[in-house]
Amino acid sequence: MSEQFPDQFVRWDTFSSALWYRTRHARYRLMGTRCTACGQIYFPPRTDLICPACHQRAMEPYQCAHTGEVVCVALDDMGFPAVGYGNHLPRVQAIVRLDDGIHLMVDLLQVSDPQAVRPGARVRMVLRKHKREDTGAWVYGYGFVLEK
Amino acid sequence: MGKIHRRVMLVGGAITPPGLPMDWTWRQMAAEVFWKALNEVGIPVKDVDLVACNYNDRAIADSSPGPQIADALGIIPKPVVPIANACAGNGIASYVAWNAIASGRCDIVVSMGFARADNYDAMEAMNSQGNYVDFDYLLGLTHINYGTMRAAYYRQKYQVPLEAAGQWAYQCHWYARRNPLAVEYSKPMPLLEELCADTPEGERNRQATNRGGVASALVLVGEDIAHRFTDKPVYFDVAYAFSPPYIGNFFHYPVDALKEYDLGELSGLMVAAKEAYAIAGIHPEDINIVQVHDLTAYEGMMALEALGICPLGHGKDYVLSGGMTLESRCPVNTYGGGIAFGHGSAGSDFQIGVLENFWQITGQAGERQANEPRVGVNSSYGTHHSLDVVGVVQKGW
Repeated sequence: MSEQFPDQFVRWDTFSSALWYRTRHARYRLMGTRCTACGQIYFPPRTDLICPACHQRAMEPYQCAHTGEVVCVALDDMGFPAVGYGNHLPRVQAIVRLDDGIHLMVDLLQVSDPQAVRPGARVRMVLRKHKREDTGAWVYGYGFVLEK
Repeated sequence: MGKIHRRVMLVGGAITPPGLPMDWTWRQMAAEVFWKALNEVGIPVKDVDLVACNYNDRAIADSSPGPQIADALGIIPKPVVPIANACAGNGIASYVAWNAIASGRCDIVVSMGFARADNYDAMEAMNSQGNYVDFDYLLGLTHINYGTMRAAYYRQKYQVPLEAAGQWAYQCHWYARRNPLAVEYSKPMPLLEELCADTPEGERNRQATNRGGVASALVLVGEDIAHRFTDKPVYFDVAYAFSPPYIGNFFHYPVDALKEYDLGELSGLMVAAKEAYAIAGIHPEDINIVQVHDLTAYEGMMALEALGICPLGHGKDYVLSGGMTLESRCPVNTYGGGIAFGHGSAGSDFQIGVLENFWQITGQAGERQANEPRVGVNSSYGTHHSLDVVGVVQKGW
């Protein structure tokens, strides 16, 4: 625990750092994939997977847009289960449609008035320090903030 | 689709009551419903050809659940098909059982489910909390957050008033007071005003209660031998469909059956319903009674729409006009729903809907009996609608 991150140190979950490592490009930079056969873009990435649209297996890395707009907002005032996020309620969660059409569900960060966030609000991706795992490793990943 | 060799009939079933003893193991729970269901119809354990069983992935620590379950049920060396696919996985178990009978390979099959989530005191198996853990649970989002988001989106898209959700919850509670198997059976009836409150407490009141440890079983047999076990058999059919596990991909997923829809519709459930109705030879207008799996009242309304009971976006109108009640052309959630019967998780969420329709069609529903229904449909889902299952029961001879 620390003053900056007052969450409990020992979590209920016990994932290894290897699992986090494998998904780092998507979590740090919103790297998705694009099917070179039909052009469909995907997030989460479908690296080496089969395209559900054209059934070909020809994915390439694709950089998703880092900006977009809020589609829908929901407040989480329960904080269940306790995965290190329950100390900062309510959490402001949103479906965000990126400028390239990809939809994500994300935490909206640094929101001063949760009730005032409306569909259509412009947002941009930020890299955030999410939480600390049982191994002691800090976990980083994307979050979104409202554009000024 | 291949050739169906014979119809499948449901002759009996069982579910554990709420409040199971804390010291009951999953083995006791599984044996309880298996024994009770078979005894009800007079089928000896030795005559069961196959068991298909869904279990909560936190219930069994052993690496090979099939022989563990077969051993508990006393059917070794006969086969068990073990399934661990979230809450509606007992629908997949029913699908497996159905296929075994329809193909002619088996005559008597038991479809089961059980959940004993408190075997672990930690979220070791956190895949039960996330749909796509790399990009939801590990970023702090659970399938409960998914449910809240879907409800918010549905309300926003179709202008669903709180009153509709409150009325949904109220009617579920009303039925639960008439169902001794419901969690809320003996508790005071809540006020409609409480259920309609625009507060976090009101929101919680419109969500499912937890049933805790639970197990259920259905006894399925071939049509040609059903007369040996009962004079009130019902036809049973089932189908299921998958949707993308990540919530963002519910928006216009690029396959034909799903791409017109987004988070405001249960498109996977529509696919499953279409297949189930085709196999059963029914249309939505034939349906007399419906049971849906509703972790939130909004998801209940969405299920009615996907099943064709009312048009898309009109679940609120169906509820507010009294469509859920016993006087309706098609009463809804007479078992009490997830909200008041209790969320049975992997143990019963699909099969309780089948059982309730079976009891309704065979006139065994007591105080909550509907007016001679002949065709009942139920739906269930797992891991936030990445799995949707539909069951159809119809009056036999």
